[in-house]
Amino acid sequence: MTTAARLNPEASSGIRIGYSVGSMAEWLRRITVCIRGPRGTRGSGVIWRDGLIVTNAHVAVGKMHAIEFSDGRKAQGTLLARDTGTDLAAIVVDVAGLPVAAIRSAQELRAGEMVIAVGNPWDGEGAVSAGILHRAVGKQPVIFADIRLAPGNSGGPLADAHGNVVGVNSAIFRGLGCAVTSDAVKEFLAGAGVTEAA
Amino acid sequence: MPGFLVDFSNELANAVERAGASVISVPEGGREGVSGTIWREGVAITAEHTIRGLDEVTVVLPSGETAKAQVAGRDHGTDIVVLKVPGAGSAAILADEAQARVGEIVLSIGRRREEGLAATYGLISAIGGPWRTGQGARIDRWLRLDLNPFPGFSGGPVVNARGEVIGMATSGPRRSAATIPSSTVNRVVDQLLQRGRIARGYFGVGIQPVAFPEGTARTLGLEGEHGLLVVMVEPGGPAANAGILLGDIVVRVDGAELRGPHSLQGALDAEKVGQSVPVDLVRGGKPLQLNVVIAERPEK
Repeated sequence: MTTAARLNPEASSGIRIGYSVGSMAEWLRRITVCIRGPRGTRGSGVIWRDGLIVTNAHVAVGKMHAIEFSDGRKAQGTLLARDTGTDLAAIVVDVAGLPVAAIRSAQELRAGEMVIAVGNPWDGEGAVSAGILHRAVGKQPVIFADIRLAPGNSGGPLADAHGNVVGVNSAIFRGLGCAVTSDAVKEFLAGAGVTEAA
Repeated sequence: MPGFLVDFSNELANAVERAGASVISVPEGGREGVSGTIWREGVAITAEHTIRGLDEVTVVLPSGETAKAQVAGRDHGTDIVVLKVPGAGSAAILADEAQARVGEIVLSIGRRREEGLAATYGLISAIGGPWRTGQGARIDRWLRLDLNPFPGFSGGPVVNARGEVIGMATSGPRRSAATIPSSTVNRVVDQLLQRGRIARGYFGVGIQPVAFPEGTARTLGLEGEHGLLVVMVEPGGPAANAGILLGDIVVRVDGAELRGPHSLQGALDAEKVGQSVPVDLVRGGKPLQLNVVIAERPEK
């Protein structure tokens, strides 16, 4: 133990950033679910509020979905709404007491801000990746980030350095990660008849 | 702990904002627009290959205004073109690139006409000594970046975590990002502002790489097995004056063995202009040495 401690370099800021991303990932994993597709494919989802999961429309294709929570619990989710235009879907689960994502408007993001994604690519459940915001979000409901995403990241959270969810990862475009903005999710949920939580 | 991440995040966003105050957009550049860097007061640079053939371009300044920029000089070799843009904005703050370290965080920053500032981040993954571009220009330092190049990043700055510029970004081989270090940019900008072009040495020959038959290279005492066959001699040019003939095979210039057509250009740096250099050739199967006075490449 003492040998290992001596071999490690002094806790420089770089090392502390590593620890910080690790602890941030721990939190983000708790609000991320795994959605299993019919052919064994995996997607992700964000626990937007208690009993409500937001994911991509291309992840939630059918009516019923097998949802796995980070604590190992499993549940059947029912599709509540789906919009292929924004690539968003909402799934309701009859599970209470879930950790819920804190949401921040993507409009406030500055180019260069750190962003963190958690998802379920084929080679790692709850995999974390970190990057920066490629450019400030304009009129379009899309976040472009310089972050490495994989197909299983679809539907999972893109969060800021505070751990606030700013978007739902949805695509990879020319090496950049794309996410639907939290603002677009709010609009989608309002349109689907899901009112703001009291 | 998260406070730490928030500080880190803010620092990166601040670096983008700080450096972004000197980044312009060149919408006519490339296929979908490129970036440029305000290098000095009223002087900007961008990637030469993206605006070839244009004498004037429209640029979008950091303020959001558009302006006309005149091409003051271009250098194909280093891929730098100098633009005169009065009142462009604040000049970039240059980093002491000799202090750059492997592992340091870097950002590539660009500007798009519609979307504004854009950035990707990465690391300096290796630092090496001087190298030559495919066009034979000497670059003072090799800065290899582990960084995702994005559409329109060419011509924009590569900055450190403080937002200080370590070089100009341009595209390298295999969709990679190459960096022309600030010291090289400074040297080229100086020359382009003074003369509108970069002085390059000149031989006055057309060449074709050829391979020697097996064993011949060894008999001639050469390490490599290739030479440069002279297929054209410009009348009155430096090579013609020195007595180089059509059919001669050039194997060494100034004592350095040639490894291909680019290596000949490498032997023709601006500082060699006016100098007499020994040239080793093979004529009729026999080695021969001539002295060539290197001239300055005439303007086309």
